Amino acid sequence: MARIEIVDGAAFPCEAGDTLLRAGLRAGLGLPYECNAGGCGTCKVELVEGAVDNLWPEAPGLSDRDRRKGRVLACQSRPSGDCRLRLRLDPACVPPVRPVRRGARLVGIADITRDIREFRFRAEGPADFLPGQYALLSLPDGLERAYSLSNTANDAGEWHFQIRRVPGGRMTGRLFDDPPAAVMLDGPYGLAHLREGPRDIVCVAGGSGLAPMVSIARGIAADPADQRRVHFFHGGRAALDLPGEAWARDLTGLGSRLDYHPAVSDEAAPGLPKGYIHDILAGWLGERFDAFDFYCAGPPPMVQALEALLIAEKGLHPGRVRFDRFF
Amino acid sequence: MSDGGVLAGTFLCLEDAVPEGGALKIEIAGRPPIAVFRVQGRFFVTDDTCTHGEASLSEGEIDADECVVECPWHSGAFELSSGKPCGAPCTIALRVHRFERRDGGLYLLG
Repeated sequence: MARIEIVDGAAFPCEAGDTLLRAGLRAGLGLPYECNAGGCGTCKVELVEGAVDNLWPEAPGLSDRDRRKGRVLACQSRPSGDCRLRLRLDPACVPPVRPVRRGARLVGIADITRDIREFRFRAEGPADFLPGQYALLSLPDGLERAYSLSNTANDAGEWHFQIRRVPGGRMTGRLFDDPPAAVMLDGPYGLAHLREGPRDIVCVAGGSGLAPMVSIARGIAADPADQRRVHFFHGGRAALDLPGEAWARDLTGLGSRLDYHPAVSDEAAPGLPKGYIHDILAGWLGERFDAFDFYCAGPPPMVQALEALLIAEKGLHPGRVRFDRFF
Repeated sequence: MSDGGVLAGTFLCLEDAVPEGGALKIEIAGRPPIAVFRVQGRFFVTDDTCTHGEASLSEGEIDADECVVECPWHSGAFELSSGKPCGAPCTIALRVHRFERRDGGLYLLG
């Protein structure tokens, strides 16, 4: 157990094997972060005293300039003893549900699209998280990846993930071809969770961004007091990725409160618009940007295009556009 | 430049008010705050608020060699000459403003 102290701030314990970031969040502190996977660069801290094992020295979230200045990514740092860190806490990052690491058993598998499969795990105690959050799933040998949850909080302790098979991917190869009976789940994490608001919702799901958008839609469906409509923009490469409106209404539980807007990016298909999902959204929106709050999950080009459109060009407050970014 | 005696631009500050290797935040009513940077004798005028979080870039660290400002919050970075993001987590470009140096003062154009 190491003691981690923030310069001019709080101190928190870090269990052996835990990262600086996760230990701080477990203690209820708002350590800045987003992806927990070395990609986004939000969790950079200055290591003032002490030493850490760097789990991913080449992580893209850190520039050469950052390395020169002695910064580390809190999400990729395992302390080898007591440490002192310089960082500025962010109230927006205080976890609404404190993340916990727990064992879980695989209790079900179902195909969602041609290459997205739902894996259902069950753990002791209630599954407590907010729609749109993610958890880190690790195999007995330590291989670990972050995946978005696709269901909503429940007392049965069920944690569902809709995971897209990545060609050649180590983790998804194992999950799809030789599903593990038992895993470790660490979560919940993530800031792109469902918030209350006066406006209807636009969800934009590109490729494997389906799961968190399904969770957001299910979160609205699960709350009888929440009467917002959901406009669900779903981008796929081909028609086979887009099972249709009846499927989406059923999958999310929203029924006729969900409008489904599919588009194919690669292979033209009769009856389906062709183009990138962010372009399809832009065409549909016209100038009605103020009518909606936005939740978006997908690959970097989609996220960058939506950031450019909604925040840089249209000037929407960043709090109205939540991104679940993939790295 | 002007013709007919009317000079263009909104006064920002005197050049001498911006320390070498430093920055000055300038509030102008009705628009987002502006930052004026001075790096090795050159001036740069940009938005002051980081495009990633609500932080003031004029309080950030300036790397003179690379002509880059680092946000004081998450250490994201921008090229001062272009506003291009050059350090995670910043992904949206910073707005860079045209300006004019005149009689020891800096004036915002456009």
